[in-house]
Amino acid sequence: MFGFLINPSKFNKLADIILRPLVFITSIILIMGLFLVYVSPLDYQQGLTVKIMYIHVPSAWLALLTYSIMTFYSILCLAFKIPFGFIINKAVAPIGATFTLLCLVSGSLWGKPMWGTWWVWDARLTSVAIMFLIYVIIIFLSQTFENREVREKTIAIFILIGSINLPIIKFSVDWWNTLHQPASISKLSSPSIDVSMLQPLIVMTIAFSLVGLIIAILRIKAEIIIRKNH
Amino acid sequence: MLLINDLSFYRNNNVIFDNVNISLANGQITQIKGKNGSGKTTLLKVILNIIEARSGEIFWEGKNIKKNIFNFYNQTTFISDQYTSSRKLTVYDNINFWKGLSYSQLNDNDILLLLGTFNLKKYQNTETMYLSAGEIKKLELLRLILEQKKLWILDEPYNHLDNLSIEILNQTFIDHVNNEGIILFTSHYNPPINKIDVIDFN
Amino acid sequence: MFFIIKIFVFFRRESKLFFTNITDLFSNIVFFFLSIFIFVFALGTDEQLLKTIGVGIIWSLLLLSSILSLRKFYEEDFNNGILVIIHMSGISYELLVFLKIISHFLFVQLPFLISLPIVSIFFNLPTNEVYNLIITFFIGSLILSCLGSISASMNLLNKTNFSLGGIVVLLFSIPLIIFSVGINNAESELIYLINLLIGIALIFLGIAPWSSAAFIKLAISNK
Repeated sequence: MFGFLINPSKFNKLADIILRPLVFITSIILIMGLFLVYVSPLDYQQGLTVKIMYIHVPSAWLALLTYSIMTFYSILCLAFKIPFGFIINKAVAPIGATFTLLCLVSGSLWGKPMWGTWWVWDARLTSVAIMFLIYVIIIFLSQTFENREVREKTIAIFILIGSINLPIIKFSVDWWNTLHQPASISKLSSPSIDVSMLQPLIVMTIAFSLVGLIIAILRIKAEIIIRKNH
Repeated sequence: MLLINDLSFYRNNNVIFDNVNISLANGQITQIKGKNGSGKTTLLKVILNIIEARSGEIFWEGKNIKKNIFNFYNQTTFISDQYTSSRKLTVYDNINFWKGLSYSQLNDNDILLLLGTFNLKKYQNTETMYLSAGEIKKLELLRLILEQKKLWILDEPYNHLDNLSIEILNQTFIDHVNNEGIILFTSHYNPPINKIDVIDFN
Repeated sequence: MFFIIKIFVFFRRESKLFFTNITDLFSNIVFFFLSIFIFVFALGTDEQLLKTIGVGIIWSLLLLSSILSLRKFYEEDFNNGILVIIHMSGISYELLVFLKIISHFLFVQLPFLISLPIVSIFFNLPTNEVYNLIITFFIGSLILSCLGSISASMNLLNKTNFSLGGIVVLLFSIPLIIFSVGINNAESELIYLINLLIGIALIFLGIAPWSSAAFIKLAISNK
């Protein structure tokens, strides 16, 4: 039943069936989400800039999700020798990098009116920036090695090492942050969110996930074709 | 007894070799011949499981070597065409290192005697980097006698050797085969040894 | 018994190689000292400033100079095929990597300990900070050896882009830097932070042999 998750030809078949309806549904949800964002109430403190959140939070969430998908497939392809994982890794890494960059840029744009600077050495910002660097290294790795097998296995091993390290880095950055700037934390801690803001956020998150999924499907299909021709 | 069954190896979907079947009985010496780049060295490495084969099985004394890999290595000496001695260590240090790795029973006198037969005695405290190519090759070949294993796998053992050393090497081969040893080597040179099996590998 | 002899022989070879290449080590230490000098030239000689940022500078430069020695980690042994010979003598690649890490720790990282008290004099560091520096470096250099092993084995596969290995070391040494430098500023108990560092070192000692061995196997089969 879940064969399409590990078998390229089954994946291709399923993708051909669902791609058109998926694009249709996605555009509806995206338009709905944007409309909800448009009508959502302004924050009494932050004003209009609070609407950056509807891009910032979904992209942060998707950046993490993409990395965990890559970790899952790296384990799958290294331990069980399923080559489909290599295809996924290569196809999905730039998507994750884009979402991480989107998260960083929107956070920076949000930060300028709120805190007065583009960049704060906050724990969360710093660890997201480091995650972006990890994504960039993964993309570098996929450009470096000439031999395909070497390249794919190296990327998979690197993703696994990175996934073990990300929590350590996150934890240490948290600790470093409390050490150096205890003041700015209270301002950044996540406040409880109102339902009127939660609705558009959820819709936008679903829309972003679906957009990511469509791009991923297209990239995976292209990757399968490239692999067939070599 | 080494049995190689339907061994094939692909590199990036290019066939390097396909369906190779070789069987080496005790006391048998086998030479692999072939053009440059025909995959002789790769075949030796695949047989040793240094490189993993695409398909096929290798049996050493009736057991699949993949399951008893260190058992197999324990009775094998592999001499590659590279110089595995460390360039910055002396001849004696290199020999001592190999001796320690292979639980060799030889003592220092035996080693000096060995060095003498290969004309290397005067170099025993010289760093390997000052030796000539042929002398380093002889040093590498010393491992054959040092390690006292049953199966010898050699890659281009005759490279760089002078006539005298080639004679000594041939004599060593004959002695080993007479002691029920097994030898598999690649070379373009035809050694004057009786009963040598030649595999044309193209 | 034989196994212990093998490990002993391995370390004897490593120590001999170390003593023949001792100028390499000294040039690394000289690089470290010179870069410290250059830092001070760039910042000026304000004593108070140097005192506050001293440990941070020392640690970052230690990291950079340890990257210099990385290329020698496996490359020579890999190119002349001795890794395969050692493996064929009955040592798995994982154990081989572990032994290499230990020997790198002993012969490349620990000699830097001598230079640390001298460097702290330049920055007028207080005595307790020097102690902290030495303790954290003792544990941290083990982490650096593990990271070095990962990046050096990755570089075996990669004949064009050598800076990639350095990037990997820098990336994964972020926790190390944070905890090692942070020990001086922390109000909490020193021993907890040292335990944390030891924990990170143990995690890396778990990851490094596995991943380096995987890279080495890949490199050997694609030579």
